Amino acid sequence: MYVWDFSALGPYWGLIGQGLGITVLYTVTTVVAGLVVGLVIGIARTAGPRWLSPPLRAFIEIFRCTPLLVQLVWMYYALPVLIGVDMSASMACFITLSLYAGSFYAEIFRGGIEAVDRGQWEAGRAIGMRQGRIFRRIVLPQAIQVMIPSFINQTILQLKNTSLVSVVAVGDLLYQGTVITAASYRPLEVYTVIALVYFVVLFPLTLVADRVEQKMGAHR
Amino acid sequence: MNARPATLSATGIHKSYGSFQVLKGASLTVERGDVVTLIGASGSGKSTFLRCMNLLELPQEGTLVAGRHSFAFGKGQKAPNDAALAPLRRDVGMVFQHFNLFPHMTALRNIMEGPLQVNGMTPAEAAELGRDLLAKVGLADKADAFPAKLSGGQKQRVAIARALAMKPDVMLFDEVTSALDPELVGEVLNVVRNLAVEGMTMILVTHEMAFAADVSHRVGFMNDGVLAEIGPAEEIFRRPQHPRLVSFLERFNRPAG
Repeated sequence: MYVWDFSALGPYWGLIGQGLGITVLYTVTTVVAGLVVGLVIGIARTAGPRWLSPPLRAFIEIFRCTPLLVQLVWMYYALPVLIGVDMSASMACFITLSLYAGSFYAEIFRGGIEAVDRGQWEAGRAIGMRQGRIFRRIVLPQAIQVMIPSFINQTILQLKNTSLVSVVAVGDLLYQGTVITAASYRPLEVYTVIALVYFVVLFPLTLVADRVEQKMGAHR
Repeated sequence: MNARPATLSATGIHKSYGSFQVLKGASLTVERGDVVTLIGASGSGKSTFLRCMNLLELPQEGTLVAGRHSFAFGKGQKAPNDAALAPLRRDVGMVFQHFNLFPHMTALRNIMEGPLQVNGMTPAEAAELGRDLLAKVGLADKADAFPAKLSGGQKQRVAIARALAMKPDVMLFDEVTSALDPELVGEVLNVVRNLAVEGMTMILVTHEMAFAADVSHRVGFMNDGVLAEIGPAEEIFRRPQHPRLVSFLERFNRPAG
């Protein structure tokens, strides 16, 4: 029977912490960038000119219907050949993860905005409000409430998806796991700990999500 | 400066959706202090006509003059944009069948939204106005309640207060009791009746014939996309001329069952 020995990981806790830092950093920055991308595309598709919708739809579907791993590899190895510019692994990862998240957020935003009753726009117009103000004051706050659960789910997925950056040698949590395994010959302990760290970070997030959802819906 | 003229005049209004013609040249002029009720069968175009009076629906042809606002529609006329429409709607208020209260705001905040965001009132002024209006519609104790906690009748009274907060010259009521349980209709009609007594200029679309007869100065009968007959309530209900109006009223007077 296998004898577990977690003490073998002793010298490597610092590396694991460092990897977690990179994972969190990629999650936060690409979620923020993805939200901006998603909000812009979502608004453009609901309120923008009609000709703009098909190309944006195409953009969204390309990112939704190809594997993220393929996108990462393509962005890192193929795009530089195409445009003749060298891109660092971390930049390729940031761009890919942001656009990937953005294409999912865009659909969440669009769904949320379209879920708000048409009568809300009319009520705003009927008291003399302009379209932009109705959107900001009346429609968006209600759309955000509808979006919160999907938004949190997508963000949890995004944190897990950052593990793919290890493929292009960005030093995230999973990548450090690979490094530590190579040094310690203890894959079982290492990858168990890595999995546990992901879980410990994400599980509280789902609990917070439940609380927020309940609170936001309190007046409904 | 003189008070703004409160008349509203819609002339030759045509409105179609695709090939379906809803309004075929409907016209109505309303003087200051008038209370006019539009009646008619479903599909006669009365709600659409009402929604053309604050241009929530843009007609394909016709003219609309409301106070200092004037719009012309037809070939060669550019459709008015958002910026041109907003000032009209400040002066022509509307209450909807389904209330359309803002669910993420309390009753008081619903009423304050227009004065704050559109008229540039200070929060203190808007709150005072909001509380006065809540008291006027009998809901002084519901200032902090969210719409979800209010009954249909209460929601509709808040919606009326929200429209009044803009101090409109004319109020449009679009079947405001149709979505209410029968026992809640009375409280809303009372608020509307009080407004009529105060001299508010109003145009109502309703199925409440008794109320129309009671509160209106004039009643108009919509038929097939035009205002087919209009006159004092007494005349319309006692001595209807148009054959379709005669049969329409017969259906209402017949006892249920």
